[in-house]
Amino acid sequence: MNSGRSVFRLLCGLAALAALALIGSNVAVILVRGAKSLPEALTQPETLFALVTSLKTASISTVLCFVLAVPTAYLLTRTEFPGRAAVEMLLELTLSLPYIVLGVSLLILFSSPAGKALKEAGLPVVFSQNGIVLAQLTVNLPFAVQLASTAFRRADRKLEYVAGLLGAGEARRFFTILLPLCRHSLAGALVLVWSRALGEFGATLMLVGVTRMKTETLPANIYLNVSANDLDGALASAFLLLVISGASLAAASRFTRVDKRWGRYV
Amino acid sequence: MCEPVLQLKNVTLRRGSFSLEGIDLALAKGEILALLGRTGAGKTLLLETAAGFCPPSCGQVLFYGREVCSIPLHRRNIGYLYQEYSLFPHLTAAQNIGYGLRMRRMPREEIRQQVEQLAGRFGLERVLNQYPGTLSGGEQQRVALARALALRPALLLLDEPFAALDPVTKRQLYGLLRQVREEFGCAVLFVTHDFAEAQGLADRAGVLAGGRLCGVAPAAGLYSAAWPAPAREFLGLVEQQKGESAHDANRAV
Repeated sequence: MNSGRSVFRLLCGLAALAALALIGSNVAVILVRGAKSLPEALTQPETLFALVTSLKTASISTVLCFVLAVPTAYLLTRTEFPGRAAVEMLLELTLSLPYIVLGVSLLILFSSPAGKALKEAGLPVVFSQNGIVLAQLTVNLPFAVQLASTAFRRADRKLEYVAGLLGAGEARRFFTILLPLCRHSLAGALVLVWSRALGEFGATLMLVGVTRMKTETLPANIYLNVSANDLDGALASAFLLLVISGASLAAASRFTRVDKRWGRYV
Repeated sequence: MCEPVLQLKNVTLRRGSFSLEGIDLALAKGEILALLGRTGAGKTLLLETAAGFCPPSCGQVLFYGREVCSIPLHRRNIGYLYQEYSLFPHLTAAQNIGYGLRMRRMPREEIRQQVEQLAGRFGLERVLNQYPGTLSGGEQQRVALARALALRPALLLLDEPFAALDPVTKRQLYGLLRQVREEFGCAVLFVTHDFAEAQGLADRAGVLAGGRLCGVAPAAGLYSAAWPAPAREFLGLVEQQKGESAHDANRAV
């Protein structure tokens, strides 16, 4: 019995070691070589442009994403309406689609007369930074809805019923009970969505292309540098992405910790 | 005769494989009614139905003659106390008690005064700034009761409110509940497993078995009422009767 368990543990250990080696070696390459190339890369205007563009577009798209995702998640988890299952399936479907496919459909949508009308109205999407925001938003929206829905489903419905009987209308129940109860999960989700937006490439590539100093995000900068055989420049940008992602993961885990003042109640 | 505060007329409700069947019940102003029943008898579901959280598939739940589900949740004037108290964990005890008053847009100073008054009555003065998670079970219970009573509801629904409390705290709270009934005149429907609690606190008691209300009788005569078989079994009257019959038979021999 014990030898059987030891063999099982050994096999699990070997698999874990292989997984760790695969992930760790990638991170190690970026950390070691990227850190070395970073000082020089930071003097390049392209890298700085890509960094600023990434931070700016990811922040805007994340805010827009939550403005749309939170009410959607609320409706999905707190109301009954015909076709709810279909909406949920649609969201899950887009979540599992390759991002490049979403990018193609966005390109077709915004190359249409409506897209051209938008461009004439001063809001170009294709081959512009607005398109980067839109691509990140489209890719992240189902993910954000799912995270917010999970947070809302985990919140105790009884508290909302009690609040209702205490005189709180639906909107006040949402703002005074549900949102504060889910604030840690939502803040963690916000950071994760922002981090994903920062690394988005597939849909962005299709919708806005990769043009130096125009639609150049950090992933686009990596792509352009590799294409130009500048591996050091690519690794420096990869290093920047890795550091930002690491910091946002740390922030997310800090946000998801419950408020200690609340005591054992949560 | 004045209109009942709460009236359930032939209420049927299904939830999964369980169902409440043909419940008829009326509660008068100022009356305390205890609902007794085994775990899984449908007591909590009945209470939630009375509050209008679960619309019945058949029958009517009337609150002062109006379909309770047709009244918006925030305008029902019903107090509800869950077994686990359901305090808002992100609000202090004072904020919990004053929540309903805040929702009524009462001036801040008035809210403070009322909260302090309620805290004084329930012995909560020292814990007002604490969060629910740092309070004892008895304190949480009192905060929840004070919160439910702050708006002086016409109907108070209590789901096993005293189950997790020690005998001393229980006795204190029985007294408080009676006081509240005298003062506010609210009707109280509470769920319990405890026969003594039902007899000591309620005016009438009903027994729920397998989703059916077996009947309602004066709480003082809980053991002498003519209950149907499931209720007699739950109240332990079947064993008692068997024992008495055996005793009589032995004496005859």
